[in-house]
Amino acid sequence: MSKEEYNPRILGFLCNWCCYAAADSAGVSRYQYPPNLRTIRVMCTGRVDPSFVIRGFVEGAAGIFTGG
Amino acid sequence: MAKAKNKKAGTVMVVGGGIAGVQTALDLTDLGYYVYLVEKSAAVGGVMAQLDKTFPTNDCSL
Amino acid sequence: MVEAGRSPNIEIITNAELKSLKGSPGKFSAKININPRYINADDCTACGLCTTYCPRHLVDEYNENLSLTRPIHIDYAQAVPATYYIDPKECLHLQHDTCQICVPVCQSKAIDFSQAPQDRELNVGAVVLSPGFGRIEDETMAKYSYGIHPDVVTSFEFERLSNPSGPFKGEVLCLSDQRHPKSIAFIQCVGSRDLNCDNGYCSSVCCMYAIKEAMVAKEHDPEVDITVYYMDIRTQGKDFDAAKTRAEGMGIKFVRSRVADVMPWENQLRLTYSTMEGEHKFVPHDMVVLSVGLDSPASAKDLAEVSKIDLNTYDFCKTSSFKPLATSRKGVFVAGAFQGPKDIPESVTQSSGAAGEIAGLLKKDRGKGVVVKKYPKEIVVSPEDEIRIGVFVCHCGINISSVVDVNKVSEYSGTMDGVSYYAESLYSCSQDAQKVLKEKIKEHNLNRVVIAACSPRTHEPLFQETLKDAGLNRSLFEMVNIRDQCSWVHANEPDQATDKSMDLVRMAVAKAKLIQPLPEQTVPVTAKAMVIGGGVAGMTAALNLSDQGFGCYLIEKGPQLGGNLNKVNTTLFGEDTSKFLKDITAKVKKDKNIEVITNAELTQTNGFVGNFSSIVTTTKGKKSEELTVDHGVMIVATGGKEHKPEEVLGNKIKYSDNIVTQLELEEKLAGKGKSRAPKSTVMIQCAGSRGDDLKYCSKNCCNHAIKNALKIKSIDNKSQVVVLYRDIRTYGFAEDAYREAREKGVIFVPYKMDEKPAIKSKGKKTEVTYFDPILQEEMTLTPDLVALSVGVVPEDTDHLSKLLKIPVTADNFFLEAHVKLRPVELPVDGVFVCGLAHSPKPIDEVIVQAQAAAGKAAIPLVKGYVSVDPIVSNINKEECIGCSLCANLCPYQAIQMLKVDGKRKAETITASCKACGICASHCPTFAISMGGFTNEQITSQISAFGKVEEVEEV
Repeated sequence: MSKEEYNPRILGFLCNWCCYAAADSAGVSRYQYPPNLRTIRVMCTGRVDPSFVIRGFVEGAAGIFTGG
Repeated sequence: MAKAKNKKAGTVMVVGGGIAGVQTALDLTDLGYYVYLVEKSAAVGGVMAQLDKTFPTNDCSL
Repeated sequence: MVEAGRSPNIEIITNAELKSLKGSPGKFSAKININPRYINADDCTACGLCTTYCPRHLVDEYNENLSLTRPIHIDYAQAVPATYYIDPKECLHLQHDTCQICVPVCQSKAIDFSQAPQDRELNVGAVVLSPGFGRIEDETMAKYSYGIHPDVVTSFEFERLSNPSGPFKGEVLCLSDQRHPKSIAFIQCVGSRDLNCDNGYCSSVCCMYAIKEAMVAKEHDPEVDITVYYMDIRTQGKDFDAAKTRAEGMGIKFVRSRVADVMPWENQLRLTYSTMEGEHKFVPHDMVVLSVGLDSPASAKDLAEVSKIDLNTYDFCKTSSFKPLATSRKGVFVAGAFQGPKDIPESVTQSSGAAGEIAGLLKKDRGKGVVVKKYPKEIVVSPEDEIRIGVFVCHCGINISSVVDVNKVSEYSGTMDGVSYYAESLYSCSQDAQKVLKEKIKEHNLNRVVIAACSPRTHEPLFQETLKDAGLNRSLFEMVNIRDQCSWVHANEPDQATDKSMDLVRMAVAKAKLIQPLPEQTVPVTAKAMVIGGGVAGMTAALNLSDQGFGCYLIEKGPQLGGNLNKVNTTLFGEDTSKFLKDITAKVKKDKNIEVITNAELTQTNGFVGNFSSIVTTTKGKKSEELTVDHGVMIVATGGKEHKPEEVLGNKIKYSDNIVTQLELEEKLAGKGKSRAPKSTVMIQCAGSRGDDLKYCSKNCCNHAIKNALKIKSIDNKSQVVVLYRDIRTYGFAEDAYREAREKGVIFVPYKMDEKPAIKSKGKKTEVTYFDPILQEEMTLTPDLVALSVGVVPEDTDHLSKLLKIPVTADNFFLEAHVKLRPVELPVDGVFVCGLAHSPKPIDEVIVQAQAAAGKAAIPLVKGYVSVDPIVSNINKEECIGCSLCANLCPYQAIQMLKVDGKRKAETITASCKACGICASHCPTFAISMGGFTNEQITSQISAFGKVEEVEEV
């Protein structure tokens, strides 16, 4: 892969009951999506403290995804 | 296969290890009974184990 | 299945057959004959080396004979038991006394050719027969060129063809030349609704699975042309009609027809069919899929003979509508497709129902046979201890390793701080791998385990169980999902998928370092149930719970028990429902365990599974009273009612003596005298259903119409009955009644939604105009009576849905926890559903569902306690400032405010807590910690996310 290509690192917070489950079924159905996402499972997106988002950006995330 | 000494009271025999038999066995153990699951083939699971997805949720069927 | 393999209270006996069954309930004696596997289950590690050396081929029955395997093999990697076996049919040693190559190949010396068949006697209290269904004979399919042309396949073969673990790895290809088919035909009712093969019944499931398979084929190749040739589309299941509409939206065509034959034609197949209008047509297709029905199991006759039970005319187990799970022999029950062709949720429901019935029958022996699993004493892990993490990276066969470089990920984990051991594993979920995991924990004194494999949603409980077996607290575990959320979704980017796996493992290890053991918590249970709704569903559930020895409050909002059954006289099969209702009502009233509360409504419920406290309000005239009751579980059986739409198919309806519903017609037909049967009747199906007013199919109306039509014919066989329908849905054995009605002269005429029948009132008479597709002209009838087959709506679900926080479907029925596998459980723990409140269904299915709900509801009552997942919120009282923000935000009312030394403090009700963490993220003083998801743990994961460059430089 060329260095110039935009290759952002995205941090995701996924709700165990919905978005994490959906990501699992995307796998079961073999849907393909770009491999840029790194995820953290939480029991509910209600757990996501605003400071987590800020910290994610500090750690170099190009974007933060919350799915719930 | 470890052969438990044949028990008498509080046991149930389930003949057929497809989804119906496996579910019956699991529920019976939860209700306080010991189960012999008698299956004619080499593994339990029956037809359900052959299915990839089930409707309408398209879950993996295992 | 894995769960069944792990249960200490289930002994799985494979390759075994029932030979005789003597005795009576409580003391049966069964003889079974066990054929050898020729492989010792205790020694086999399922490594698969033997299969690679075996020189002979064998057609793979698991793959519907579409591929080859070896005589020594395992059906599929996750099979239970996970032990290989030798099929003697093709084994050179067992047939010709030669070979034995496998014996020295096997490293664990598991192969044992000296094994011989053995007999065993089992003493059991009750028996469940669940042999499943059989296959339609090839002979029946010969006219469609099955067995003659390879591109004619059965739906079972198609299932394997489209399966990623199938012969073409999920690619749908023609078997003749492995080309992608451009047009596929599905032929319905092959081996069903067909007296030529002695299967007069409808197999109930084929319409739905054909639609599923067609949609899967369309997903594989959106360009493929798919036609389904059918007589009636029977998608009567909950939300199944919606799936058919989706299929039509995808461009799948449905043609009402009868297929005469399929013949090879050039390099294609030529399908001949006749339409409703009597035209004959020929169409070429690349592939033909036969939607084969479910036959009675091949072993049915033998099984019936040895277990001394009766079969019905089609060799399925004979049962009645009122005791659908009881065979003709007391203490012997039936579950699944052997009771009649059915789908997965109905099978699962029957299983739970049979378990409930047996639990009632054998109440006095409960607990006597069970083995209580003992865990070793938990190893104390304190924060000061050295962190010793074990990382296990799974290949999942080739599911992960074909994309992700598993070795690289595993080696990388070894470079991390805190990791004391790392390894790869072929299938970390196998029973064998659990043994290894346990050994490695002991050998390396591991006090944290990280497994990189599939989803924690499916497999975390299994690994946590192994941790407990090894003496570790189950919280000392973290899972990394590198299959469902990595290798499967990044199949074409192996390098980046490997990078992603490494990042995720690094993040998990960072979290694992901060994990502390969490104490297991249990809460005692109030061993009583509440059943809401006094119809047949509620009464059946209450009686079963009572049989199992549990007390029960039966709440009925009206003045009397019985619900809809008060308006019905017989079932479609002629069984007397009035007598049944009288008997069951008397039994309920006499039962000392059941407290019936009529004119009552649930007005408040607090608490959680095992410990509910509810207020029931009873109203008598103007006086109302409140009653507080404690109970451990709750069954919702609030039922449904007839829906009388004001408009049917675009016609305004004024209900009168001449325009009635089927239920009203049934009342009219009861009693005596020939005059009660109208001289001429027009019945209109789907009146207000399936998109007319209600969106869904009510499942009962076709049966009800045919029951009434047959009743009219039996009173006066000269009376004329015309049924206007869209699809006749007499699934299962009800098909016999449909056939009988046709034979007795009831006329069935289909209508389309773009040619709806017109209903006009002309003075006292009613005129019905419809298009007859056979005559190809418009007909007008002026019948004595118009009977509308109206649908079923649930009784008010809104009130309970809000009170109990349980969801409803778009059609206002209660939505179960999982439509296939948990059909009677609601998403709130300890709350169950049965009957019409779940979806419209006939009485036998209502009864089974009620038995199943009672069976499931009794589980926590039998156990006597509920365990609470230790990931709940925990409030540090020192830091809490008593602002009560958390208590106000908690969606589960799981936080209460207390006065401690005169100061307001928040406290979690652990059993109600669902671990969502809303409290923790909003607490202004960070006083709330979530077990397993602490601020520190998540923060460490985020930091590890950012550590990527540093590590790559290393």
